[in-house]
Amino acid sequence: MANFFPKWTNWIPLKLVICLAVIGAFLVGGIWYYFTPKYTRVGFMPTQPVPFSHALHVEQLGMDCRYCHSFVEVASHSNVPSTQTCMACHTQIRATSPKLEAVRESWKTGRPVSWVRIHKLPDYSYFNHAVHVNRGVSCFSCHGAVNTMQTVWQDKPQSMSWCLDCHRAPENFLRPPAEVFNMNWKPAAGENQREMGMKFKEEWEVKPPVTCGGCHR
Amino acid sequence: MKRTPNHPPREGQPNIWRSLRELENDPEFAKHLEQEFPRGADVYEDSGLSKRDFLKLMGASMALAGVGLTGCRRPEAHLVPFTKGVEWTIPGKFLYYATSMPCRMGALPLIATTSDGRPIKLEGNPLHPFSTGGTDGFAQAAILDLYDPHRSKIITENGRATDAAAFDSFLKEVSQRGGRGVAFLVEKKNSPTRDRLRVELEQNFPGLIWAEYEPLGDSETEAANDAAFGKGIRLLPKFDRTDVILALDSDFLNPIETGPGYATGFSARRNPDQKGAPMNRLYVVENHYTLTGGMADHRLRCKASEIEAFAIQLARVIVAKTGDGNLASILGAFPDQAAHLDEAWVTECANDLLANPGRSLVLSGPQTPAPVQILVHAINAALGNLGTTLLGLASDAPATAGIDGLAKAISAGAVKTLFIFGGNPAYNAPANLDFPALLKKIPDVVRLGLFEDETSKLSRWHVPAAHFLETWGDAFAFDGTLTTIQPMILPLWGGLSELDILSKLLVGATVEGPELVRATFEKLAPQNLVSEAGNMDLLWNSSLRIGFLPGSGFPQAALDLAVSSASALAARAKPAKDGLELVFLQSSSVDDGRYANNSWLLETPDFVTKLTWDNAVLVSPATAKKLGIKANNFGKFEEIAEKLGNEIDYDLVADIVEISDGKTTVEAAAIVAPGHADDSLSIALGYGRKGVSALMDHVGFDAYPLRSSASPRFTQGVTLKVTGKTYPMAQTQEHRSMEGRDLVREGTIERYKENPAFAQTMGMDGHIPPNISLYTHPSLTSKEQWGMTVDLNTCTGCNACVVACQAENNVPVVGKEQVRKNRDMAWIRIDRYFAGNEAGDPEMLAQTIMCQHCENAPCETVCPVNATVHSEDGLNLMAYNRCIGTRYCANNCPWKVRRFNYFDYNQRPLDQLYWGPLAKKGMADSLKMAKNPNVTVRMRGVMEKCTFCIQRIEEAKIGRLVEAGPTAKSDTPVSTFKVACQQACPNDSIVFGDIADPESRVARLRKSERGYTMFKYINSAPRVTYLTRIRNPNPKMPGAEKVGMANGAPHGAHGAHGGDTTHGTHNPTEAHEH
Repeated sequence: MANFFPKWTNWIPLKLVICLAVIGAFLVGGIWYYFTPKYTRVGFMPTQPVPFSHALHVEQLGMDCRYCHSFVEVASHSNVPSTQTCMACHTQIRATSPKLEAVRESWKTGRPVSWVRIHKLPDYSYFNHAVHVNRGVSCFSCHGAVNTMQTVWQDKPQSMSWCLDCHRAPENFLRPPAEVFNMNWKPAAGENQREMGMKFKEEWEVKPPVTCGGCHR
Repeated sequence: MKRTPNHPPREGQPNIWRSLRELENDPEFAKHLEQEFPRGADVYEDSGLSKRDFLKLMGASMALAGVGLTGCRRPEAHLVPFTKGVEWTIPGKFLYYATSMPCRMGALPLIATTSDGRPIKLEGNPLHPFSTGGTDGFAQAAILDLYDPHRSKIITENGRATDAAAFDSFLKEVSQRGGRGVAFLVEKKNSPTRDRLRVELEQNFPGLIWAEYEPLGDSETEAANDAAFGKGIRLLPKFDRTDVILALDSDFLNPIETGPGYATGFSARRNPDQKGAPMNRLYVVENHYTLTGGMADHRLRCKASEIEAFAIQLARVIVAKTGDGNLASILGAFPDQAAHLDEAWVTECANDLLANPGRSLVLSGPQTPAPVQILVHAINAALGNLGTTLLGLASDAPATAGIDGLAKAISAGAVKTLFIFGGNPAYNAPANLDFPALLKKIPDVVRLGLFEDETSKLSRWHVPAAHFLETWGDAFAFDGTLTTIQPMILPLWGGLSELDILSKLLVGATVEGPELVRATFEKLAPQNLVSEAGNMDLLWNSSLRIGFLPGSGFPQAALDLAVSSASALAARAKPAKDGLELVFLQSSSVDDGRYANNSWLLETPDFVTKLTWDNAVLVSPATAKKLGIKANNFGKFEEIAEKLGNEIDYDLVADIVEISDGKTTVEAAAIVAPGHADDSLSIALGYGRKGVSALMDHVGFDAYPLRSSASPRFTQGVTLKVTGKTYPMAQTQEHRSMEGRDLVREGTIERYKENPAFAQTMGMDGHIPPNISLYTHPSLTSKEQWGMTVDLNTCTGCNACVVACQAENNVPVVGKEQVRKNRDMAWIRIDRYFAGNEAGDPEMLAQTIMCQHCENAPCETVCPVNATVHSEDGLNLMAYNRCIGTRYCANNCPWKVRRFNYFDYNQRPLDQLYWGPLAKKGMADSLKMAKNPNVTVRMRGVMEKCTFCIQRIEEAKIGRLVEAGPTAKSDTPVSTFKVACQQACPNDSIVFGDIADPESRVARLRKSERGYTMFKYINSAPRVTYLTRIRNPNPKMPGAEKVGMANGAPHGAHGAHGGDTTHGTHNPTEAHEH
């Protein structure tokens, strides 16, 4: 019987398999990397209605986080300051700066400034700021070095696995209570974060929830 | 070895049953019950597309969708802070304010939870001296009324939109004109400020007619009290001092009839373990099953028109034994009639009352004819109960006219301007007055109402009313405690309050609410309290803070029976006629019709019939047979399925009947009600509204056309005709049956004293040891372990917890058609059981069922995606975002407490559930405001169930951690909190807390010998413990041997267990052979 297929066709199945495997690997790799919050969220830096600079206010002027985010220690939500808070200083300082036009407008009309939201958890997760900052978790751990940002961006993926990294091993992040709002704090020379964290964890009986109910209600 | 479950086989005839069909043990019905989800649930209704086809299609469309998905980014969201900080407000934290709901029985004191300025939940005010924290279903559902998008929003004149200025100038004109011809028709609200303004208005409008009308009010009681004890006397029962209670046509345990607080003391005296006092005993005589009837130790079915005959017969026995002259002379005023009710029952009941002079109590209902109430007062006097178990309070409300008086004035042409505040007389006024026609005679009718309804259509002006959560106000509680009403939010749609309109009429310019209320407060506040508080400001503020003026209340009055005036009223009594009577009931869903647009209430099953979305004529099995009403119109399942295609009706189809009083004929569906009196029909009022709003259409049947002002409780001499038409009904009583396995347990006090732990070995629990679980027990490492107890002895089944849960947990409403498919979503259900082998006269028991949070949860082991798992503090968790909707968990749940979102119930109106995926979605903005922000709003395709209010647990736990700060957690205890159902319960039947703390109340109750867990033998280790119901029968009463025997009589040395379950069918050793 004659050979209907030339000899090179013998390689087709193997080539196909390799080809598909490569495509498959790219697909999996692509989704793995590009579809995760680490890629889709980190670095999100929208333009805000007011070009507010944390770098200026925190780093240069030395303001505390809690001057504006005043309820972070008592409420689940860390509030964005009301226009009143801005105007407390800006009726005196840079009272005519064009950058502050939106704030003055809001003060005049009573219509609030609509800040663009950067950190957004899904509606079915309930994060509580108060419990974290009161138990030695710094702003820095979730928001990065906001004190150096001209415009705020999302610094951490804030995905569930990222949350669990800390909930499973809080010792890597726990700080002395006095340093929670100190964005520049580093363990002193000779101090080891893990050891110190372990000490706090035991002393305060820190046992973050890792069951669903801790965050999902 | 695979082990088939050792449940006892279904017996020939069950002793405890939920519906007549179950009692009959119809094989078709058994098939129905076996289905977890009704057949056809896996078929996509409209298309006949099976799930398999659907998945194929979905796979293909997902692949296609992938092409276009690559560019997706999350949508931009905004953070919008306040411009100026608001006092006390912390974004994300709740604020609590005391307020109250004005009700006809007196203020219902509440604590409103507000979130960012929106009231989202109402709870009872535990500080209030009268209510002590109880609520009812109506108060729990008031939040939905506030945010109802169907509320009226604009002022209309002759049906055309106009503005506030036009209305103001009209009011000014009326005010300036003054003079005669002005009348008011208002609801009973017990508001001292309104009364004060009314008296002031009378200066400007001489001859002002001020009429109050409540279709379900207590005008009969008032008439009887006035005649017997003098003007303005209220009677306050003291259940804590009462050993024996006889209720005649009175549902006093039902908070919607009497108001929470009225029955305070009853549940404490119901406890068989109380020290120093015997358990109370309750006799009930009524025509239809009420909550109170369900709690009764002895219950007599009796036509409502024959309650009079019963009272006369009882009075005769008491006169014979005591020789009480007053009672004899009042009894003499009644027309003579032969005793024809159960002689033994009446005599033994009388003997029991007589054996407890000064510690007994006879009660009648608010609409019981006044002569009967007079007789009841005289009986109480003869028993020495006046001043001991029945106190008199002297209220000083100014006299008001009734709707009859107003109608007379209108007919005479004496009314030129009529203000109607609330109510809906065009719909619910007594039929003999023909109120719609009367309204047309008045040139200027001003209607203030929450909704544009029948009365609005006949009024010149319709003005949107402000909800009680939007206004200032005040009201007396039933005992006269001055209770404040504070606004929680500005009127959403610019509504006006009654006080606003009255003050505009009075002074021409609006004085703001707080000043009006405060002026009354200053008049009423006693000087000693003012000086105690420091000054009036401080007293006012502290009263607003706690919600009432402490120490206020009507003064006690001596109760002296005025025999002559009482006899005169009694002489108006007419003996009952033979033949059918129609009794008018208060609806547990719509009250007198005022909540007809409240979907939470409409979908909450009636206490007894378990009907949702409809009312029906209730009729006893014997009378139904006589009249030819079919009890169970199910038909064969196969036939129905064939006839209806995929739209399978598993639920009830009822006969439509015509009821006529000779002049008017009303059509209504009829259902057979076990325990109903023969030759008597009952129907709940408030349904059958037409052309008013979307929700109200095609909901139930209107019985008002048969009701007359002379006899508000019942109409005698009606005729009934079966029409041959049928009507589909949505009844939840057969949903999620647990196959009668001694789930609800009861016994008599005698049995309890013999063996307090008798209930723990009932049924299967007495035969086989618990299974051994194959699965590892969850690691319950947390210091706090949550658990709950439900006391069946005090739970009446009043529905307050059901609606509270709905409000707290954002539970959606699914609509009548979905309820018919067993898809109701309520996280708590109240199972109503009948017990006894007689359909005509069974016992009734209620059992509240929510997720039992089993330690070895059967649902957890079958979830393929770990969407339901256990927490270390003993909660059975549900992670909605993980759930893929297999419904395996619901199939494996022995309690049937899991609910599945078949549709996007939150995002779609009920009539658009079946629309395609691209159809418009979203809920009304105002409804979004009602949602609890701390609870996820679930989407289509996920399972949900009771979470033990995990949001409250977590809030308490977080609060503890915040307080502890950088110190050891265990040094700070978790602060106490209540879960929503527990808070709402007027009888304190539900207790929740930390069972690991031996000092906690719940831990102590769990150890009670009355405590049992359901299905102990399957060893799922539930965290909910039920406390057995104990009944206290009088052994001398006829039928006493049947009381407390729902689970069968105790037998032999073997210990107590349910009925005659055959021992041979389950081998105790088998349980260990896995």
